[in-house]
Amino acid sequence: MARQSSLLPISTARSSIISDEVFRLLVNNVIDYAIFVLDPEGHIHSWNKGAERLMGYTSREIIGKHFRIFYSEPDLTANKPMLELQTAKASGDFQEEGWRIRKNGSRFWGSVLITRIVDNNGKLLGFGKIIRDLTERRLSDLRYRLLVQGVEDYAIFSMDANGYITSWNVGGERIKGYKPEEIIGKHFSVFYTPEDQARSLPEMVLHTAATQGHFEGEGWRVRRDGTPFWASVVVTALRDEEGHLYGFSKVTRDMTERKKLLDTIRQHSQELELRIQEREETSAELEAFAYSVSHDLRAPLRAIGGFADALREDCAPTLGQQGLDYLNEITNATARMNALVQDLLEYGRVSRINLSLGSVSLSEAVKQAIDQLGSDRRGSLTVDVPAELRVESHPQVLAQVVLNYLTNAFKFHEKDSTPAVHVFAEQHDDHVRLSVRDNGIGIAPRHQERIWQVFERLHDRETYPGSGIGLAIVRRAAVRMHGSCGVDSESGKGSTFWIELPASKNGAER
Amino acid sequence: MKGPVLLVEDDPSDARLIQRAFGKMDSSVAIFRLTNGDEVVSYLSGEQPFDNRNAYPLPCVVLLDIKLPRRSGFEVLEWIRRHPSALNRLPIIMLTSSRHSVDINRAYDLGANSYLAKPDTVPQLEQMASEFQRYWLSFNESPDLHGSPNQLRRS
Repeated sequence: MARQSSLLPISTARSSIISDEVFRLLVNNVIDYAIFVLDPEGHIHSWNKGAERLMGYTSREIIGKHFRIFYSEPDLTANKPMLELQTAKASGDFQEEGWRIRKNGSRFWGSVLITRIVDNNGKLLGFGKIIRDLTERRLSDLRYRLLVQGVEDYAIFSMDANGYITSWNVGGERIKGYKPEEIIGKHFSVFYTPEDQARSLPEMVLHTAATQGHFEGEGWRVRRDGTPFWASVVVTALRDEEGHLYGFSKVTRDMTERKKLLDTIRQHSQELELRIQEREETSAELEAFAYSVSHDLRAPLRAIGGFADALREDCAPTLGQQGLDYLNEITNATARMNALVQDLLEYGRVSRINLSLGSVSLSEAVKQAIDQLGSDRRGSLTVDVPAELRVESHPQVLAQVVLNYLTNAFKFHEKDSTPAVHVFAEQHDDHVRLSVRDNGIGIAPRHQERIWQVFERLHDRETYPGSGIGLAIVRRAAVRMHGSCGVDSESGKGSTFWIELPASKNGAER
Repeated sequence: MKGPVLLVEDDPSDARLIQRAFGKMDSSVAIFRLTNGDEVVSYLSGEQPFDNRNAYPLPCVVLLDIKLPRRSGFEVLEWIRRHPSALNRLPIIMLTSSRHSVDINRAYDLGANSYLAKPDTVPQLEQMASEFQRYWLSFNESPDLHGSPNQLRRS
């Protein structure tokens, strides 16, 4: 209203009142808005700088011309200019956004306001017209809309504040199966399963988006044909500059394939976990078994050996030499079986799941093994293990490995030969190899794999006693300590047994 | 006058060999054998049929197996250490075939005074019996089991 009365003096008469002049200058010099006056028929009566800048006409060129020259051919055919004036004349003003034509023929998107100007008696004096160039905004809106419209992989749509759908894109059509005319105006809860609808999930989603700005979630949704799909959803609250909620945008992605894949992976991992658990249970059972062997199996052995000893001590005179010989057989067999049970337990021990590994001094482990050798040690033993070498392993298990190698190195010799055993170690990159070399009977290449199996023996028990488990323990231990083991040998030329373990990274510590 | 050695051992062969080894020693201390954990509790509590303290005096030391019928050696050990009387001072020595570190540590955690693994041969057993007798039955001073409960006793 204020605008109308202020404009009046400009169009009616060239007033000499200062304030009117000031106002005229102001309007004239506004450059962001085209502001001009039309007479009742639509001829241009005034022209400001903004109009010149926007349309390209100087005031001399344009004043007196009809404003229809701003319209395109189709608009003119539709008699748009005069219809606009009639609307403004009837209702006071006319507002729209639309394409207009510049002097050079180019188009611009204008926000147009036409205002009726009447005198105090209600007689129409003309129209005020204000145009703002919104081409940039229009184009970016358009680009954005085209972008959204064209996205196929995402359903992108908008809703009003109550959840009724107001726009729809190709992705929505592709994913959910609705055409825009089928879905616009409907409530977005149609995408939810009956169960989710019953528990008011759609309302909760809008509530969360409205209160927290946005909602993100995944869940089953329903297509137009009733088939379910796994949706990843982002709902964003739309607020105007004053912060009033006017709607929501919603982006939905069809994740059904990925969901299936994830479910399959999850299922596999669960199966795997189950298998690991079963294996751990088996391992625990084995440990329980080993424990029971140690306790129950050795008890009768102790009795056999013990009473054989008691018999020898208490009844020797009545037994005679033959009786005592038999007793010795019993005692030897008992000792053998004890060793066997002991080795089996050791084999079980290195097979256990939780072998905690740490930095171990190789020379310490070798020293510990040599201390345990006892009467097996004959001939010469030279040790060449640098004190600074450390490996990732388990101290007792490593010592056991070395002891088994040493025991073999001293054991497998011709009767009249003198053992010469050499223990040495060297580092190769990130591994350390410990070798035990002997000058014994050696192993033919065809036997070199068999010897690592449990209860594998190459010789009869009388020549070389033993349980046949020692090297099986070594191999199991090597694997459990993330290393490897092997033998280089030829029949009659001695053997070199080795174990390779990861070198400790911080060798100097501990 | 020292009380007897209480030998808690369910395996008759082991018990006989142990008793034989102890019998070879020249000692005035008697050995009394029990075969399960419940019996130990009855004996120490003075319940039937052990209610006659003259016939069944409190032991000076208990040799306790771990794997026992009814009540395990660990349970017996725990029962004794938690006993509300001075009985909780009773020296307990585990004598078992287990060399498992789990068992060894648990025994000490529960308050065992010593842990012995059963030897495999008679000569070793006899040596152990001899050492045991020398240490536990002559050098070692026995606590008073009849006094009031230990003020420092852990809960």
